[in-house]
Amino acid sequence: MRSFLACLLPLLAIGNVYASALTLQSPRFTISASDATQLRSEPLSTTKKPSALTLGAKDVLKVTFQVVEEEGKGVQPHQTFLRFYDEVSGEEGIQPVRVTAGGKAKFELNMAKPPASLPPTTASDPLKVELIIGSFVHSPLKMDLFDLFLPASQPAPQHPDEPSFHVRSEIHHTFQPDPKLPPKFISAVFAALVLAPWVVLLGLWGFISPSVPHLLSPSILPFIATLGAFEGLLFWYWVDLKLGQVLLYGAILSIPTLIAGNQALSTMGKWRAGRK
Amino acid sequence: MWARWIVPALLGLVSFVTAKSSSGNSVLVILEPKLDKDNFSKFFSGLEEKGYELTFRAPKDTKPAILEYDYAQFSHVIMFAPETKSFSSDITPQSLVSLLSKNTNLLIALSPKQTPVYTLASEFSLTLPPPGTPLISHFPQRDDPATVIPVPVRPVTPNVVSSKLAPVWFSGIPFAYQNNPLLVPILNAPAESFASDGETDSGADAVVDAADKGGEGLWAGSQMGLVAGFQPVGGARATWVGGVEMFSDEFFQKELPGGGKPGNEQFAADVAAWTFQESLVLRIDSVEHHRVNETVPGQVYTTNDQLVFSAYLSKYNPVSSAWEPFSGIQDMQLEFTMLDPHIRTALPPVRGTPGKYSVTFRAPDRHGVFKFIIDYKRKGLTHLHSSTVVPLVPPRHDGYPRFLSAAWPYYVGAISTSVGFLLFSALWLAGDDRAGSAKGKTTKTE
Repeated sequence: MRSFLACLLPLLAIGNVYASALTLQSPRFTISASDATQLRSEPLSTTKKPSALTLGAKDVLKVTFQVVEEEGKGVQPHQTFLRFYDEVSGEEGIQPVRVTAGGKAKFELNMAKPPASLPPTTASDPLKVELIIGSFVHSPLKMDLFDLFLPASQPAPQHPDEPSFHVRSEIHHTFQPDPKLPPKFISAVFAALVLAPWVVLLGLWGFISPSVPHLLSPSILPFIATLGAFEGLLFWYWVDLKLGQVLLYGAILSIPTLIAGNQALSTMGKWRAGRK
Repeated sequence: MWARWIVPALLGLVSFVTAKSSSGNSVLVILEPKLDKDNFSKFFSGLEEKGYELTFRAPKDTKPAILEYDYAQFSHVIMFAPETKSFSSDITPQSLVSLLSKNTNLLIALSPKQTPVYTLASEFSLTLPPPGTPLISHFPQRDDPATVIPVPVRPVTPNVVSSKLAPVWFSGIPFAYQNNPLLVPILNAPAESFASDGETDSGADAVVDAADKGGEGLWAGSQMGLVAGFQPVGGARATWVGGVEMFSDEFFQKELPGGGKPGNEQFAADVAAWTFQESLVLRIDSVEHHRVNETVPGQVYTTNDQLVFSAYLSKYNPVSSAWEPFSGIQDMQLEFTMLDPHIRTALPPVRGTPGKYSVTFRAPDRHGVFKFIIDYKRKGLTHLHSSTVVPLVPPRHDGYPRFLSAAWPYYVGAISTSVGFLLFSALWLAGDDRAGSAKGKTTKTE
């Protein structure tokens, strides 16, 4: 008995290590519309992929096969998964398929009620559908079944902070337009118009030809000079100065102006009084 | 006089020799007694060679405490206690989370057993399978049990682990990622693998039932994680590993099904380097801002000014243990924000100046308190955040343009009035009193 067991144990060990490979018998897919009319039905082959399958919004895809050992006996493997994989987005969905003890399996994908395991899809990229069969006693089997176009689904929900982990769209500020200026020619014409009274004034002065005999008199000239300085100060204010500076310089300038003005007016008064 | 120079120099030397991580070099290893320390000798000696000081402690020991007086005692904590159900009082899920807020990094191993740490994983946005369901894979065909899996290393998050690593041996549990951008996937499960407690083919129906409605779900496929990092806002890093065996000497040396050495050793070192803030650690050294053609930062800026904003970045170099200027970021952005970003523009690296990123832009024509904001977050990298407040004011009364052509008539009018006043004053003051003299003449003649 013991020797028999000793013989058997290595045999069992060998038997445990993947007795035989599994194959699929009569794998087939069927696409039918919601009113049960068959749209497409083809057998699947392990070597050649059929052309891409397209499912409408209410179509039903049915995949049937039987998992068999090499001797043709149906088995129920531990793992029978359909893998839906979007190669572009990297999204993946795994759908287990129920296999009977006799190895028969039927998978139905009803697009009116898509299973939660289906990954988010876009209309442009197909899902690669693979069949994964794994077992504790048989060699594993992985098969590329077909490419599947599904109607586009809602995009996967996004965490509210997710955009801050990517480059965000640029934001440009919309500036107010620069204020518009009228043409310089028109400004120049009106400036000339403002100057026009000078022509009249100078023309009339030409008739009476006024003379300034006292201009260089020491009592008059300082007052006129300080008045001119005041005008210059105001011009300078416009071009460059600030208010505080103008007030300071103006206060300083006002003292000589007062003195010179007093002097000039009293001299003038004397002249006029002397003549009378 | 000498001490002033020597002490910092010595300090610098000491840190140069020892610290390998940017956040410190003391490591507490909480190792459960069931796991033999010698079985992880390669991993631990690798850390010691890098310069880490390892302190070992059993989960039920009371000393050394991980937190003392609310102060973290270690820079990094390795939790290799995947099956321990009761810890000493200082190791609680709360204390582990508070370690993270104190910039202490965590490396936590899980197992199929339900433990306090197992339940903590869900706080890190990881959904674990029910207890007792390890990851199994029947692929590729091999002599090992189905729970010992060679996992090809695909780059899920760039640069966290070395590229082109050989597959790594894994044994443990997978976890599903919840929708959280703070998660940093490091190693994902192979597409053919799934979590199951079945040990024979008769468990097939249980697998299908679990995935059906009302079942607890199916942890299957390449979207499941085996090793995942988590980087909270503070910058500390926590890494969750589905099984502690991948750090063991046995898995470091176990031959792959196709022959060859597995990538476990390098992978473990890379994971530890990321977790302990050696790799992919960045910081903003300084930021500066000024007007174009100026160098001094302005106290206030005027609307429509042309502004220059610059930031200086460094990356930690674990080889030299030094921060080095880093110009490798191409997609950083700067926001100029008052409540909402008014301007968001690229902040590109400046060629020729390592570590400098600069951009020139026109300030908006809205006045208010604005902020220059850098908020650079990418998976795996330290999150960079910088915010600088500047007031943006409208032009002063003399800040507007002058000598407008539209106002020429007014200028001319004002100037000619002034000139006219001066001319009349001069004429009146210095002029000939012709009327008076004429009158005098007539009186004389009369």
